[in-house]
Amino acid sequence: MSVNERTNQTAVAVQDARKTYQVGEPVHALDGVSLALKRGSYTAVMGPSGSGKSTLMNLIGCLDTPTEGRVIINGEDVNQPSSLDTPTEGRVIAHGKDVTQLSSRERTRLRGSEIGFVFQTFNLMPRLTAQENIVQPMVAQSVSRSERDERAKQLLERVGLGDRADHRPNELSGGQRQRVSIARALANDPALILADEPTGNLDSETGASIMELFSELHEAGNTILMVTHERDIAEHADTIIHLRDGVIEREETVDAPVRPTVGGDP
Amino acid sequence: MDLLESLRMAWRTIRGHRLRSTLTTLGVVIGIGAVITFVTLGASLQGAIVSDVAAGSSNDVAGGSPEMTVVSQLQSAAGGPGEGGGGPAVFTEHDIRQLQQTEGVEAVVPAGTVSLSGVTYSGQSIAKSTMTATTPAYFSQAGAGNFSVGGPFSPGEREVVLNGAAATIFDQNVSVGDSITVTRSSGTTINATVAGILGGNSGSSSEFGSSDDSPPPEIYGPTDPFHETRLISPATGENQRVYSQLTVVAVDHDQVDQVATRVTDYFTADSDAQGLLSSSYEVSVQTVDASVKQMQSLVNTFTSFVTGIAVISLIVGAIGIANIMLVSVTERTREIGIMKAVGFQNRDILQLFLVEAVILGLFGSVFGIFLGVLAGYGATMFLTLPFVFPIEWAGIAVAVGVLVGVIAGLYPAWNGARIDPIEALRYA
Repeated sequence: MSVNERTNQTAVAVQDARKTYQVGEPVHALDGVSLALKRGSYTAVMGPSGSGKSTLMNLIGCLDTPTEGRVIINGEDVNQPSSLDTPTEGRVIAHGKDVTQLSSRERTRLRGSEIGFVFQTFNLMPRLTAQENIVQPMVAQSVSRSERDERAKQLLERVGLGDRADHRPNELSGGQRQRVSIARALANDPALILADEPTGNLDSETGASIMELFSELHEAGNTILMVTHERDIAEHADTIIHLRDGVIEREETVDAPVRPTVGGDP
Repeated sequence: MDLLESLRMAWRTIRGHRLRSTLTTLGVVIGIGAVITFVTLGASLQGAIVSDVAAGSSNDVAGGSPEMTVVSQLQSAAGGPGEGGGGPAVFTEHDIRQLQQTEGVEAVVPAGTVSLSGVTYSGQSIAKSTMTATTPAYFSQAGAGNFSVGGPFSPGEREVVLNGAAATIFDQNVSVGDSITVTRSSGTTINATVAGILGGNSGSSSEFGSSDDSPPPEIYGPTDPFHETRLISPATGENQRVYSQLTVVAVDHDQVDQVATRVTDYFTADSDAQGLLSSSYEVSVQTVDASVKQMQSLVNTFTSFVTGIAVISLIVGAIGIANIMLVSVTERTREIGIMKAVGFQNRDILQLFLVEAVILGLFGSVFGIFLGVLAGYGATMFLTLPFVFPIEWAGIAVAVGVLVGVIAGLYPAWNGARIDPIEALRYA
């Protein structure tokens, strides 16, 4: 794969990633996982607890780095200095900069601009209003105030909460909170939306409406990676990756992904 | 993240915890307030001393007094301001003549104490233990006060000058031209005419008491005939009058230090005073400037001592801020995790908490200054001192407040910045 292909087509690539924790004896949370998420793809990750889902999420979300192997976001290598890779072999140039060895600060910057998190527990700032919450990722990227307020309003409309801009999380329902957190994930127009059990804390009806929103985002061209353990939620995606004991057990292509009441062709 | 954004976020947090922020700030408020109170008090005290002396030497052009006081004192005595002398009368007329010929000396005014048993006016006698024997030049020097009626006595005449208190001490007020009778401790009496009365707010003994409206009554008379203390002058062999205190006036203020040196040199070389003094005594030459400086340094020592104690409460305040910031970081672990997940850098978190601590410190210092000035004002009013606020201390207090915030906030902020987002998001 050339650099061009990567930046053009692959939003996220994980290459032979291993994560080992030293808890008394070494525990291999991930034991050689490789995957590539194309731009605009909709992928679900399924697996029992302890299968390495969270670790994989943390790696892709640039919250953590693999013990071995590489994670490449939008053409940028998330690795810290790797013990395996030699720099000549693993060099990835993006924006004219060698990012094979990203510092923690660069990793954070990349996370802020290229990854949008949607959490099971929403993780909104409790004292901030919906709009202030949505603005946060843009504050971190030093977007000007007028620009980010403008964008926050657009995003609130987009997730159907145009009239809830000044409400705090405790004044919103669970579904509304998750919509705010989805709007926040979209704030910096990221390369990947990373959703960790986004319907886990919602009743099925509200969950369905959230899945509807994800489908809309998918239709609009966003790349989505969703971790879930519910089959019917996972079936909204084009591809389901089954994870077990730190390795990819199988990769399943969904024949007819669920596309709830969304206009446009499947 | 720019500073303005940090300020807005920090301010939001502080307002979100009003009571906690207020209590945290209180430590700094009390610390800064105490420091400002005592500094204000010290400055006002100094101002009072300086204005006292300056008022006394109003006959001189601005820039200080050209006068110095010469007294004899015990060698061990740390030279306090020369008021009252304390040492024996040893300055002979020969010494005075010699000093008058010294370069840069304008005048030498002797002052001696005459022991009395009482004073009588229009049939009423009151007890009075001393009067001052001096020359008319005495009344033109610093601290003597101005005449409200009449003028100085003439040397060799039986005339006296009273201060305001002495003029009103009798049932019937004394006026110029009246005759009063002075009774020496030996029992002999002198009838004298009142030549002048000094203004009410006078008297050289009012170092602190510019506000004290009742200076002790004083009577002044010419050395001849009132002064009787005499000793044999070693230099001339004559029996001469000796005085316990001399005031040397330099020709102008710029020369006062050189003149003081020359006067000191004269007394350490061969003067009558040197010969007459026992070995445990020495001659002390004290310029007005020097006495003011001495008073000031005394006040300064006192002020810095009390301020030092006040600084302790400031340290307690700083610990309070550090403590509450640590609690705050722990409390907001999850929020820090969220912030990091959405792209905030470690240094953004650091900055946020530091700004919060600095705001607390700053508010503490501003309210502390307010409180301190108020308390200082109250205290100076209570002590009837002129209120002087050392404005540079407001700047220092603000700087200290900021510094306290930085120091107290640094460790908690660093703690917050280090939080691992994965752990923090798992934190319930």
